[in-house]
Amino acid sequence: MAEDLVFMMGKYEARVPTDCLYSKSHLWLRKDGLRYQVGFTAYSVRLLQDVYFLDWSVDAGAQVFAKQEIGEVESSKALSTLYAPFDGRIVEFNQLLLDDPSGINTDGYGNGWLFTFETDAEPLTPEQYVEVLEGGWQKTQNMLKGQVN
Amino acid sequence: MAGQKKLTVVISQHQGKNPVKRQLEEELAMACMMDPEIEVSIVPNLYDLSHDHSGLLFLKGIQGDVVVLSWLFPRATQWILDRTGVKGKAGTVFLVGEDDEEDEDQDEAAEKNPDAIGTLDVPNRLIYSIDLRASKDPQEFLAEIRRIVEVTSTETVDLMSWIQGEPKKEQLERYLNPQEIFGIGSSQTGSIAEVEAEEKVSRRWYPVIDYDRCTNCMECIDFCLFGVYGVDALDRILVEAQDSCKKGCPACSRVCPENAIVFPQHKTPAIAGAAGEVAGLKIDLSQLFGGGDAVEMAARERDIELLRDGRDAVGLAVGIPKRQANACGVRDELDDLIDGLDDLDL
Ligand code: SF4
Ligand code: SF4
Repeated sequence: MAEDLVFMMGKYEARVPTDCLYSKSHLWLRKDGLRYQVGFTAYSVRLLQDVYFLDWSVDAGAQVFAKQEIGEVESSKALSTLYAPFDGRIVEFNQLLLDDPSGINTDGYGNGWLFTFETDAEPLTPEQYVEVLEGGWQKTQNMLKGQVN
Repeated sequence: MAGQKKLTVVISQHQGKNPVKRQLEEELAMACMMDPEIEVSIVPNLYDLSHDHSGLLFLKGIQGDVVVLSWLFPRATQWILDRTGVKGKAGTVFLVGEDDEEDEDQDEAAEKNPDAIGTLDVPNRLIYSIDLRASKDPQEFLAEIRRIVEVTSTETVDLMSWIQGEPKKEQLERYLNPQEIFGIGSSQTGSIAEVEAEEKVSRRWYPVIDYDRCTNCMECIDFCLFGVYGVDALDRILVEAQDSCKKGCPACSRVCPENAIVFPQHKTPAIAGAAGEVAGLKIDLSQLFGGGDAVEMAARERDIELLRDGRDAVGLAVGIPKRQANACGVRDELDDLIDGLDDLDL
């Protein structure tokens, strides 16, 4: 298998595995039959840090549109609303995470998957995703800085 | 002036006629009137006051420490006042709302951006901004006001040093009897409703710059296509034509890299001037996870206003910051920030 791409967040190496596709909203999508398994990229996990709360505001099976609010995540340092990456349908949520979301931190590209998703959209390639990261890094830092100081 | 030793308390009314809010305002006003060490006045919502409104002239006339109670975030209150020339150092207020809780031992300076241009000509007096949403219990506000009375009465500050510039004669006359303008204080009827009858105040909408954050980068002036921003004689950014701003549009606040632009009446606390992080001191990453790219959103909001004005939409073609271009200079500091996220201990 091809080696992971890496994006440097300061001194931190955010892995971008090449067997996944990506969304601009920092989710990975891995083809699994007709649907995708979806999870947080290393980049987003790095910013979130220890996730201890995850909640979905839509039901499994829901038809969603891109950028629709679908849930919330909270960690010791941050919180965020979560949005659908593309138009599509959320098939199933990862039940294990609802009890204990630590899988997001320990195995973000594996057992830490969030939900399965059906979509006709074309997600980003790993290379495109790295470009997105490169383009957005400065802004992300500004945003964090604006909130932290 | 005989009243100089008194602490001035100004209550800025809510825009609407919500009876619960009115009642809190009135209860506080009444209680303050009973207090011999307090001089109380009520003005319409600070944000809505035009520059020649007597309420504002009154505020400008106050020379000592002042407590301002308003239905606004304290940061918003502080910078609205600053823009109108009512300046002072921010007094420390212990009574704060949920959306505005800061780290207890975070001092005032922590809010400031080291690169910020700051405000000029700050007299040596304190302005205590209290958010009327911080509690539903008038007693809590009164306790806080009493606490401030105690603190300020023990301060030894040269009164004359507060006076900045020579007030015009007619202004001075108005200052001398401020209570009369507002129909409270010595007036027996004590009807607070009179205030509104005095001068009609309509709702306004415009950006307010927090100069403790603003670095004078000029991105807002490039972005706004409605001529709201300008610069002063020292080339400092300024909200020049307040009333040219488009009602409800907060676009430029999303473009400002320092989150220095406040729209005090916006529904999102971060835009309305909540201190630092909202919701329990956590970093909100929603933007990152697809909650709308701030700049895109700003451009969309601006396009809506352009179309309403019968002009053409420009999308991202005009006045959009090219921050990536000069990213190198600050890179290290920001890298540290990310690396230091773990240590931030928020
Ligand atoms: S964009 Fe923000 S930091 Fe830059 S000049 Fe305007 S208010 Fe100041
Ligand atoms: S909100 Fe819109 S119209 Fe108002 S100052 Fe900002 S960009 Fe200009």
